[in-house]
Parts: sequence; structure tokens; C-alpha cells
Amino acid sequence: MEEAKYKYIGRSVPRIDALEKATGKIKYMSDLSLPNMLFGKILRAKYPHAKILRIDTSKAEALPGVVTVITHKDVPGLNGFGIVVPDMPVLCKDKVRYIGDAVAAVAAETETIAEKALSLIEVDYEPLPIVDDPEEAMKEDAPKIHEEGNIHLHTEIKRGDVEKAFKEADLIIEETFFTGRQDHTPLETEGGVAFVDEEGNLNVYVGSQYPQRDQLQLARCLNWNPKKIRVVSYPVGGAFGRKDELSIQPILALLAIKAKRAVKITLSREESMIAYWKRHPFKMHYKVAFKNDGTLLGVDAYLVEDKGAYSSLGGPVLNLAVEHACGPYRVDNVHVDGYAVFTNNGIAGAFRGFGAPQTAFAIETIMDIASRKLNIDPIDLRKKSALRKGDKTSIGNVLSTSVGTELVLDGIRESNIWKNREELRKISTKPWLKRGVGVALTYQGTGLGVGIPDYGGAILSMNEDGSFSVRVGTVDYGQGIGTSYAQIVAEAMNIPIEKVKVVLGDSFLTADSGPTSASRGVYTGGKAALIASEKMKKTLKEKVSKLFKTDEDNVEFGFGYVYDKVSGNKVTYEELAKNFKEEGKLPEEEGYFLVPTAEIKIENAFGLPHHIFAFSAHTAYVEVNTLTGEVSVLEGAEAVDGGIVVNRQGFEAQVEGGFVMGMGYGLTEHLAIENGIVKNPNFSTYIIPSIKDVPKRIETIPVINPEDTGPYKAKGIAETVMVATAPAITNAIYDATGARIFSIPATPSVVYFAIKEAESEENFD
Amino acid sequence: MKEVEIHFTLNGKEYNLTVPANLTLLQIIRARIGLTGTKRGCGKGECGACTVIFNGRSVSSCLVLAPKVDGSEVLTVEGIGTFDHPHPIQEAFVEEGAVQCGFCTPGFVVSSYYLLSKNPHPSEEEIREGLSGNLCRCTGYIKIINAVKKASEKLNG
Ligand code: FES
Ligand code: FES
Repeated sequence: MEEAKYKYIGRSVPRIDALEKATGKIKYMSDLSLPNMLFGKILRAKYPHAKILRIDTSKAEALPGVVTVITHKDVPGLNGFGIVVPDMPVLCKDKVRYIGDAVAAVAAETETIAEKALSLIEVDYEPLPIVDDPEEAMKEDAPKIHEEGNIHLHTEIKRGDVEKAFKEADLIIEETFFTGRQDHTPLETEGGVAFVDEEGNLNVYVGSQYPQRDQLQLARCLNWNPKKIRVVSYPVGGAFGRKDELSIQPILALLAIKAKRAVKITLSREESMIAYWKRHPFKMHYKVAFKNDGTLLGVDAYLVEDKGAYSSLGGPVLNLAVEHACGPYRVDNVHVDGYAVFTNNGIAGAFRGFGAPQTAFAIETIMDIASRKLNIDPIDLRKKSALRKGDKTSIGNVLSTSVGTELVLDGIRESNIWKNREELRKISTKPWLKRGVGVALTYQGTGLGVGIPDYGGAILSMNEDGSFSVRVGTVDYGQGIGTSYAQIVAEAMNIPIEKVKVVLGDSFLTADSGPTSASRGVYTGGKAALIASEKMKKTLKEKVSKLFKTDEDNVEFGFGYVYDKVSGNKVTYEELAKNFKEEGKLPEEEGYFLVPTAEIKIENAFGLPHHIFAFSAHTAYVEVNTLTGEVSVLEGAEAVDGGIVVNRQGFEAQVEGGFVMGMGYGLTEHLAIENGIVKNPNFSTYIIPSIKDVPKRIETIPVINPEDTGPYKAKGIAETVMVATAPAITNAIYDATGARIFSIPATPSVVYFAIKEAESEENFD
Repeated sequence: MKEVEIHFTLNGKEYNLTVPANLTLLQIIRARIGLTGTKRGCGKGECGACTVIFNGRSVSSCLVLAPKVDGSEVLTVEGIGTFDHPHPIQEAFVEEGAVQCGFCTPGFVVSSYYLLSKNPHPSEEEIREGLSGNLCRCTGYIKIINAVKKASEKLNG
């Protein structure tokens, strides 16, 4: 086994910050309190789409205890933010475009006063027609949400001759699919504190996924020197993509600057769910051609993404959906036509999977339909077209990095539920409870893609006591990258892991390592930490060779010490640190790593293609109550290729958590917005899986597939592990009942009516 | 808002406070006493992040108003165990990998503490029942269930 030679890599290492968390010692940003701190509140739009005619804050300002009220007039720089296009106003000036749009904000001595002040702000609106259907929004005469029109992005890819494929096909499947508006619901809502310190630095302590980018976006809004903005973004109580983009930060910062005091904002769950980022709902029309032997001949897909009111990462999400629209399959005749369209349906941005969960639901349902129509085992059918190293992906780039499609399919074939599926599906406790097993396959690009700066950075320094600190800008919001970095440094330096201190997510202290997104945290930051460790070892070798007057080649690293293999002289890291200190300063090394990219660029599709991919195959064993349409997931399994596993326990945790988040996506989660108004902004009406909903067992099957470019040959798994769960479940629902699900979440009513339709068609054998 | 005077014991320490009557126990713990291990995930009794032991029972502290706190005895995650002297339940959560972002963890630790004090050897079903008021978005719960099983072994040999 590859990992047997390692002390830390591949082992189950408990999270380095877990005990601080389990004892309540660690302070999240929303736990911070500062002396003399004010409390901020934000006034949101009254209508989902309206002109602002007048804003009058005088009464609010006059309220005792109110220190500051701000509106668009108080934004000194660009009144807009957004990772790609800064089109979301910090505070709206003449128009609101969704019900969570911010119009004004208050800082007051207490939360109650701030709340009261909001009610005293007068805003006159002229309501505009609400645009809530993306396809209607695309029409020429639709009311415009942004002046440039409602189509934010159109990406079209053509390869081969898809019409010819349909002519030659033995089987054509044509269906329309819908996916829901999933809310990340990190347990910690948006919250934190901001203040200007004595040195004139603006400090913003708000959990996020990329402190250095927050710093730049804030500088642009505030007209403030970015070097004087410190963003601290770790620890975070969950993110999943939601905290990649800014949320409350610019308002919080403005309040603190204007009030000249520290300000704290913590959103209620309702406000968080109404006001901030979601997963984009998609409508997808697919037409897919197969040969009788299972060959995938052609795919024609039309994708419409409900962008919501502002851009954020909606363009890249569409492009990733286009790239992943055909699944990890070899197919040479392709037409994928995608649109990202503005509506007044809230706002959507990055979310674990980033466009892949939507298209995976469509293509994996089609693979299931095809396997039944062609009478080919679903795993065999997928294997027939599974991408291999050297193949061209559906958008035409040659896969030259590690490809695990076949490995994960072989892995999932050996899972408990797949091996025993014939017996399992027969188990019946009540005549109306039907059981079934489904499978689905997916892949997910690691990293940001062609044309987007994509690098990892790490600073490694020796401390006075001989321990080391590694400082990386990415953020641990639960995935466990901090622990992985500690493992990587401990392994490379050959030191006990307790001797590695990890500092994350601080724009003043840590190296810029790009965003903590796109399953890239371990891959990029880990590689940078490894490079920094190699440099550090070289520095230590030089030092020790001088110390022992020996050749550098004779210097070797023991566990926690360095020695001269000729004389046997050794020196501990502690002694070495003392020695460095006496002669000047302790060593510090930086590691930077540029993520390799594909050799080609896809025209008119920014960021495509990706170059490195993780792969996973998922199965689900379900029981469907045919009287009510309720679905329980009894067991799950995932076979995952994330390269060499760095932390076995962390790997399992990601798989289990990802599977369960995928269950929510497949079965219950959809933020309902009607006429621009959110209908279910709390945990009693927006249902995420609870401990009672999860299966007894989620089998984790890592496949061994080293990725040569990664740190210790690792890739990233954070997204793929959730992506194919929903289609595995809906395919299992079909297996159990003969009811085909074309719309997720497959709530009881969706499943119930699908069962009724299947019964009326009587075509289930 | 009307103020009330309250006397209560928290983690073995006595407190006398005057607070607005509509303040919740959660706010008292976090903002007045300054212990931030108890979290707010919803403020409405829906997520369990704010769970504490209140007069011997596990409750959502976001639902308890100040007047009720008078005369009560409260135990928070910090009172169960500390970083230097962790409780076996907290150790089990760490060892089993049941902590990811960790924001739900204090609530789960307190609910597990209550469960194991009532039922030292819970079955898997009883664990699920006992923790059903706590939401976690990261772990998928499997490792949390394993942690409670392990804690039960640690505590009862
Ligand atoms: S904060 Fe009390 S139950 Fe959620
Ligand atoms: S560990 Fe993040 S919510 Fe439970």
C-alpha cells in the first residue's frame, strides 16, 4: 500500500481543532464581543422588484441610542460587489431587485434600538413587475432587472454532429428536468464584528472562504487601502460555498467606520435564508442518443439557470454545468446550450458541486432509463462510455491527469447494497412499502479552470521552541484542511504533528492561497505547504552541516531531530531553533504552487476546461411508502477517487456529510419563492436531514488512484461526494416503484404523483 | 422593557443579574455571562445548537425567558468539560471524528450528556431519538452516533 510508508498521510488523524470546538472554547466570528461595541441591523427591501423613490432616515437618526444610519450615500467607493461582476449594491440607490436587497443600515447601542430604528426609516417605492420565471425573463419584452437585459450569460458548446447521432441512434431519450433552490444552511449564519484600530487598520472578523479576496472587494467598496484591511475568516461554522462571496461585510465595515466604534452584526436564520446565497435552480431539457450496445452517441442539452437578482458566481456555475452536462462519459456528438438568467427570485451563487449536482441529476436519470430500455446492467452501461485517461471529455479536452471512473464503478459494485441488491429490494415489511437500489456516477473538477489565476500559498516558520507554524490563507469551515496541512508538514518535516501549528484565513498573517472552494483546499494549500517544507529542510540542512562541519548530503532527518549520519551527532529542533535565534532570526520559508491547467481553452466558456477531476459512484437503498410518497434512505455507499487520501477519518466524514447533504437536495430541500417572497425561511419549513432521517450506514470506499501533481498524490473530494447522491436516490425510487422522478426535491407529493402516473401508464414490469 | 432580577447557578457558580424580561437564557449566557460555547443556530427551538441542561433537563436555551431563569440551575458545555479537563463525551466526539465545523458540537455534547445521564447504555435508536432535536449540516450524523456509543463505553467501562 502506498500509504504504509507514511507516519501521517493516509491515517485517521483527529481534527486538530476538534477539542477546542467540542468544549466550546474556540471563538467563531459571531462569538466575538468588543468593549463599547454597537449592534448593526440591515433594512431589507419591501418589494422584490421596485424603484426607490425616496429614502428618509431622519427619524431613525433622531432615536436615542442610534449612533449611525447609512444608505447608498455613505458608500465612498464602488457601490457594488461580486466576485465576477460587481453588480450587487452594498446599499441600493434607485432600485431593489430581490426581497433581501439592503437599502439602509443602523448601528445602535442595543439590538432592540437598532431594530426600532429600522422601522423608522421611510422608503417610498414604485413596485415593478416581478420576473420569476427564467424562461419568461429571457423574452425580448420581459421587464428588465438589469439595464443590460436579463440574460447574464449564454454558453454554447458544439462538438461533432449531434443531429447525425440522433439519425443513427437505436434509442433516443428526451426528458425535461427541474432542480430545487437549495440553501446551504451553515449552522452559523452570517455574522461578525468590524472596527478600525489605533493604527488606522480596518479589521473585519467575519467567517468566509477567501480573506484576501474579501479584502480587495472591501477596498473597492470603501475606497480604503487594501493593505490596511485585515480580514480574519477562521473558524467558520459551515460554509459549503455560501461564504465564498461577500454578504454583510461591506455594510458592517461602513457602519464601523462611520460610527468610529466596533460594530457587530449577526443575522437571524430567517434573514440569512431570505437575504443570501443559494444553489441555482435549473431547468434542463435533454435529448440523448444511444446504440443498442449501450454506446452513448450524442447529447443535446438545453440548460436554463435561475440566476436570481445578481451575478456573483452564476456565470462560472453555468459553465461548470455545461462542462459536466454529459457526465464523465465519452461522447463525441455534443450540443450543450446554457443560459444564466436574472430573476427576482432571491440570489444564488457558489454551492458545493457548483452546477454539477443539477446536470448529474439529469444525465444520471437518463443513464438509468437507458439501462432499463436497453436491458444492460446500469454499472456496465456506465462503464461502456466511462472516461479513461487519454480520452476526450464531452467538451473536447484530453484527460491527461488521473481518471478514476472505472475504479469507482468497480468499487461501488462491491458495496454491500449493490452486491446484495436483489435480496434487499425484495424485503417487504408492509405491502405498501417498496424497496429499491439505485446507482449514479459523477465527477468534479478540482480547482478553478483555465484562465483563472489558481495557486496555493503557504508560509512555514520555525518557532522558538522548535515547533513550526504553517500559515495558509484558505479556511477550514469543517472540511478539515487545517488538519491535512498539519499532516503534510509533519510528514514532510518528520516531526510529531503536535509540533505543527496551523494558522488559517487571515489576510494579514497568512499567504494568499486562493479561494477555499472548488475542492481545491488540500490540493493547492497542501502542495504549497509541502514546497515550503522542502525549502525549510534545505535551510536546516545547511545550518546543521555548518554546525557539525559535515557535508550537507550527510545531514538526515530523524523523527523530531536532525543528525549527521557520519558522526552520529544530532540536534533537536528545539536546540536548532535556539541556535538560529542566537545568530539572528528563525527561518521562514514560503511555498507557492501554480495549479496546472489544460492545454486547450474552450472558446466563449470562461474557465473551461478543468484539468484535474475527482470521481465518485454513489448507491442508495431506499424504502418508498407508496400510499404517501415518503422516501426513507436505508443505506448508502460511495466509492470515491480523490487521489491518495490524506486523512482517512476526514475522508469518511466528508463522504458521510456529502451523502446526507445530497439526500436533502434529492428529497426535501427547496427554498420556495412565490412572487419574489420566500415562503419557508426557517428549519421547521425548510427541511434539512436530521439524525432520524439518515441511514444506518454509509459505506465509504476509497479507491487508490494517485494524482501525481498533488501533495502526496492527493486531489480533492469535497464536492463530488454530494453530487451523485440525489440521482442515486431517485433511481432507487424507480427501482422500488416504477415511478420516474424528473424534479427534485422528490418530496412526498412529487413521488406520490409519479407513482400514480406510473400506475396509470401501467408500463412497469 | 421591564427588567427582572434573577438569581441562578450556572456551571456551579452563582449569578445575580438584572436583565430585560424578554432576554432569553441563551442571550444571558452569551452576552451577559460571556460564555460563547452555547450557540445560536436559529433562535426558535429548531436546531439544538443552544442546548443546555436547565434544572436537570435538556432544553433549548433560546426558548427560556429571563423570569424563568430565576432560581434555576444551568449547565452549559463549558460546565461539562474544558479544554484542559475534557469530559469523556467531548473526547469521544474528537476521537470519532464527529466534529467538523463544530458549530453544532456543543449542543450535541450537551444533548449526549443528558441522554447518557438518563440512559447509560442507549441503543442506536435511542441515540437517534435522544439527539433528534439537534441539527448538523456537516457530518451526516454517523460519526456523532459512533461518538455517543464510544462515550457510553468510556463512562461505563
Ligand atoms: S438556537 Fe435554540 S434551538 Fe436553535
Ligand atoms: S459539525 Fe458543522 S454543523 Fe455539525
